[in-house]
Amino acid sequence: MAACAWSVSTAMCSLRASQGKHNRFLSTSLLRLASGADSGQTPKFKPPTKPVILDKSDTEIPVRRFVSPEFIPPRQRTNPLKFALERKDMLKRRTMLKIPEFYVGSILAVTMSDPHASEKTNRFVGICIQRSGNGLGATFILIIDGQGVEICYELYNPRIQQVEVLKMEKRLDDNLLYLRDALPEYSTVDVNMKPVPSSISGEVHLNALKVRMKPKPWSKCWERPKYNVQGIRFDLRLSPEKMEEAQKWAQPWLEYDMLKEYVILSSMEDIHWREVQEETCK
Amino acid sequence: MAAWGCRLLSRGESLLRGARFIVSRSAPTAESSVIGVQFVRTIKSSTWWDEHLSEENSSFLRELIPEEYNSQTASKLNPLKDEPWPRHQWEKGSSRVGLVALKLGMMPIWTKSAERQVVTMLQVLDCHVIKYLPKEEYDGRAPALIVGGKNVSPFYRSEEDMEVFRNAGVPPKQKMTTFKVSDNAILKPGTPLYAAHFRPGQYVDITARTIGKGFQGVMKKHGFKGQPASHGQTKTHRRPGASGPGGDPAKVWKGKKMPGRMGNVFSTTHGLKVWRVNTKHNVIYVSGSVPGHRNCLVKVRDTILRKHLEAIQNPPFPTFFADGDEELPEDLYDEDLFQFGEPSVSLA
Repeated sequence: MAACAWSVSTAMCSLRASQGKHNRFLSTSLLRLASGADSGQTPKFKPPTKPVILDKSDTEIPVRRFVSPEFIPPRQRTNPLKFALERKDMLKRRTMLKIPEFYVGSILAVTMSDPHASEKTNRFVGICIQRSGNGLGATFILIIDGQGVEICYELYNPRIQQVEVLKMEKRLDDNLLYLRDALPEYSTVDVNMKPVPSSISGEVHLNALKVRMKPKPWSKCWERPKYNVQGIRFDLRLSPEKMEEAQKWAQPWLEYDMLKEYVILSSMEDIHWREVQEETCK
Repeated sequence: MAAWGCRLLSRGESLLRGARFIVSRSAPTAESSVIGVQFVRTIKSSTWWDEHLSEENSSFLRELIPEEYNSQTASKLNPLKDEPWPRHQWEKGSSRVGLVALKLGMMPIWTKSAERQVVTMLQVLDCHVIKYLPKEEYDGRAPALIVGGKNVSPFYRSEEDMEVFRNAGVPPKQKMTTFKVSDNAILKPGTPLYAAHFRPGQYVDITARTIGKGFQGVMKKHGFKGQPASHGQTKTHRRPGASGPGGDPAKVWKGKKMPGRMGNVFSTTHGLKVWRVNTKHNVIYVSGSVPGHRNCLVKVRDTILRKHLEAIQNPPFPTFFADGDEELPEDLYDEDLFQFGEPSVSLA
């Protein structure tokens, strides 16, 4: 009996709620009549308020915070003043040259002045396969088509005129040097590529591409655990026995070596991010 | 002063039985006891500075002394209140004092024509003139100035050492060096020295102790060629080979290059260009590499190379005085240096 009473009450509630929601469609005329009867005059027409559509499912994603890796000082016993002075110069350079956010695996176009080129500038398009160095000496390597051409650019070289990101994406690895030994199609990029728009919020698009390699010998034994490569189809080139053998070089104890631990604190990243924002927004 | 110390050895019985010989004469029958007592006579000629102080007093001193030293270092005036010494004008051939600086590390720079150079950053840290040695006291030919850099704790210095610093009115220093100067370049003890003593465009010599490499073979130490890897060599790949002629001299010449300790000796790099000077943090940017490890204290002075002497035209003489009227910008750049605030270089 109690259960029955409860179900009835909930049904009444839901009915009332639905009436409230569809008030305009069901009972506007009734209301108007009722109000007119009260005042005795024909009431002015009030246009219904425009409904505001709120999509609650789409929550707001904050703008992605990206700190260029060369801002993080290396782990060594150096006076912090040295890095502070270097960062100051880096920020000064960034006011003149816009260095965009990019990752290993992104496709970049770099324009650089060159006295020997016909138009005094060179523009190269390629995949970024490595970012290294810190401070003013930071570099990145572009691999340019399958002809065995790599160019190492210094990020703060005054000869760099422009750095464009044509396609922002990440790959499965933080270092793509194995593209040297992969089939040429994986390092070939269209030179006249149009920039692909990407959002400034949310996660960066991850390209989970696994490459096929040329037959051995490779420049390095990429199957060894030291490199921890995810983006190679080893099954096409190496037998399971060979893969098993590569595990002989594993050093599983290294991850427990507390002396090698270097935690990059998020507070540290925050500080550098704010520094860059302040300097570039001036 | 002799003192009797008493060491208590509390170990397991098995250990004690093994180490019976360390039990002293006063307790020869300690075999059955678990605790062995040993008397050691030590001779102490000095005391720790806080040995006779209460804990509050020593902690108070630990706070007070750095504060005092910081205030001394921050003031740009000479602490000695007697008459200032006369300042002379720069003449050709006069030699100035140098600096003691801390090696911070290296970084790249670019010139106006976008050529990459590497520079070493040297920070001039708490650098003061400590003592003036007149001609007679030094070598009879030229006067000398003793300069010190980087403040250290006074608690572990002897009274004789502290006397020198107290006379100059400056905190004790970690590194002291002597500079031979000309008669017109002498400075009053206590004068603070700054990085603006050197100006961009001039050349300097830098002396420091190189990184020690330990005992090394001739290939690494002297650059010998070694022997081939194959063709019948047995145990002879990195060895020096013959050490001299045989029968006639019948000896090895003196000074023969042999394996031995490498590094950890003073060496000087000559003719390094000053590219940039930061006057706020007192940092000198010097081209190329400098002997010594990171955070080591180096001696910087005007170059003695004749071809670079012309670059030193009318320098701050006898040194740069921060209390003077000269207002310097935060950064002094060489005219060939690309400044990072400039637009990108376009090469025509």
